[in-house]
Amino acid sequence: MARRVGIVGAAVTPFKAKWYEKTYYELAQQATREAVKDAGISINDVDGVFYGIYNDIFERACIPEHPLQGLIGMQNKFGIRISNGGATGAYTMSAAHAYVAAGRFKVALVLGVEKATDCFDFQSMSATPEVIKTIGWSGDSFFEQSIGWTAADSYAEVVLAYKDEHPNDLKPEVTAQISSLLSQQVKTNPYAQRQFDQVTPEEVMNSRMVAWPFKELEICVYSEGAAAVIVAEEETAKAISRNTGQPVVWITGVGESNEHSFAGKNQKVMSRIMSDYYSSHRAYEMAGIEDPAKAIEIVELHDAFVHQLEISCAEFGLVPLGRGDALIEDGLMTPGGRYVVNPCGGLIYSGHAVGASNIMSAWSARNELINRGLKTALVHGTGSTVAQYGACLVFEHD
Amino acid sequence: MPVRKGKIIPAQIIPEVGSQMVNVDGKDYMVANDAMYTFYQRSLGEFTPYFLAIRDEKRILGCKCTKCGLVRVPPFLTHCPDCDFAPTQLIEVGQIGVMNSTPPITYFATPLFADMAPFGRGRLVPDGADTAMSINIFTTTGILVPGIVKKGTEMKIVFRDDRIGVASDIFCVPASELTAEQVAKKGLQESEINWEGATEPTLPAASQEQVEAAKKVADKIAGVIDQMNRNKRAKADIAGWKRDIQVRTTGGEFAILINDGDIRVSQQKLSSPDFVMVLHDANVLLAGLSYRGALTDSVIGGKIWLSKNGEFTTIFKLDRMARSLAKSGKTAS
Repeated sequence: MARRVGIVGAAVTPFKAKWYEKTYYELAQQATREAVKDAGISINDVDGVFYGIYNDIFERACIPEHPLQGLIGMQNKFGIRISNGGATGAYTMSAAHAYVAAGRFKVALVLGVEKATDCFDFQSMSATPEVIKTIGWSGDSFFEQSIGWTAADSYAEVVLAYKDEHPNDLKPEVTAQISSLLSQQVKTNPYAQRQFDQVTPEEVMNSRMVAWPFKELEICVYSEGAAAVIVAEEETAKAISRNTGQPVVWITGVGESNEHSFAGKNQKVMSRIMSDYYSSHRAYEMAGIEDPAKAIEIVELHDAFVHQLEISCAEFGLVPLGRGDALIEDGLMTPGGRYVVNPCGGLIYSGHAVGASNIMSAWSARNELINRGLKTALVHGTGSTVAQYGACLVFEHD
Repeated sequence: MPVRKGKIIPAQIIPEVGSQMVNVDGKDYMVANDAMYTFYQRSLGEFTPYFLAIRDEKRILGCKCTKCGLVRVPPFLTHCPDCDFAPTQLIEVGQIGVMNSTPPITYFATPLFADMAPFGRGRLVPDGADTAMSINIFTTTGILVPGIVKKGTEMKIVFRDDRIGVASDIFCVPASELTAEQVAKKGLQESEINWEGATEPTLPAASQEQVEAAKKVADKIAGVIDQMNRNKRAKADIAGWKRDIQVRTTGGEFAILINDGDIRVSQQKLSSPDFVMVLHDANVLLAGLSYRGALTDSVIGGKIWLSKNGEFTTIFKLDRMARSLAKSGKTAS
């Protein structure tokens, strides 16, 4: 029988638009140092490390994790890298959970790091176009890269197909309100890239179109940073908890799904994010959750785009499909509402340091469960073309 | 519509060898110009017939499963994964099709596609196929804006004049913008279509009242730009950028000069501007620079005309400066 696995330590570095002062070596070590300190253990107590690094090009090295093994004190131990597009962090936690649940390790480190904005476009003299170009190498290399595929336009395909089916949902006024709300929530996250970038719905509406239908203030910002989580099997987790005085947050459900990347009959259903549907419902099943709308209290989801946040919540079963706007219109995610959605500010305001992002979300969900005294959270990652990859974890606090 | 030619890596995007120092909190850090580059002679293997059919015969191929009959396009596979890997056969599909869903439009493109923006990319289901192919979308009527192409819109596949055996050898346009003969023609090429040229719009003659009103707005624009020029964050948005822009409005014209972190308004008439911006109402430019409505959206909405599509990059920078100025105002308050 699988062993129970819990989170006993976590840490993040500040997420910044650009870390001139640190390389990804130092960022990775900093998150590791802080995470083992948070767990009150030595790095010598950790049996294996799971690296979440999305993109070789960002780190400017193939197998970018190899220098980290010794730099974080994990020499001569197990180390494996997970790379699953935007869902890298969630998938990395899933992998670590599986190894610990299976009894391979007592304690494991989940370490995500990314240095995206070292990429630089010397034509526009800015980083963003080159970051987008770099991610553009993630599209289908035979049929899509040469016609300008980007992460934004591939997610826009899904959003517009959803709008084809549900023309009255995802109203611009509502997506603007969600972005504005997230910008308020980020104020309490001192590690966020845009902690003090509060915007009004009007400002969101007035921000420039980047890829229709996405406006600049409805899109996550690329970041540099690292995040780390320490997971342990039940007895070890309880012993660590007794030592630190911090409660264990248990990972009670894990689910993953990768869809077709091509469209049409028997392929990807473009108007749905089935990867979110399957991954969340598989996680619910494992956690024994029958009605997520009643059980889930905190959602730390990968908001690559505000519109996708709404669709993802529908796929999670938190609002009906076609009623994503209920998150605002019915007050479900507004202060005092049914759900606490992205209390860290989400990736739109905290920043998206890709391999580290979902691990940062896990760090936030754990903190929020403990600090608010709530019981159940859902942590989510999405990635690849047309939201093809999805991974979800259910966290529970005794 | 530009098509990529020449070197694999365009010369203008390659930086010089070198490094810079950046000061953060009083301490200097080194930043090095660098690149990862790998060249390929890449095997196109089982896709060879598909790309050859496009390049040499102006035909589109798909593959049909010998068991379930599903026709996939492009012909992604030689055996059907849904039928225990039954073999597939190459077949020709039509050059007319419908959009599988409403396609997005990219306005802010990567450096490799900046000269092509704005452009659409969507999924076309050609006649005779069951799946949808990823393909570029253009309009013959100027800048591609939302509403022109939707789910179910009938589209015609068009072949580039110079084809090299890549996915960008073809694109599609709304069939409704073509003649019946063009729609019916197999292997229609881009040069057979009447692409609307970049003709500068003519502004109406201005009354004295309009001239005076335009002068007032121009003064306000100069005021905002002067604020930008004294704002560190806004100046950083145009670091390393140089553009001379001639602005024509009903009632008058002026120039905006951008030069590596410096932006100014000039009353001079430029002899060779980098591009021309034409707008009936100068208030549109004032609103954009004041962060009361993105200039990008005004271009998309037809309120601002640009002589070069590729100058969307400069428009993005002006939008960013407006946001930087607004953010600084909030920080200061």
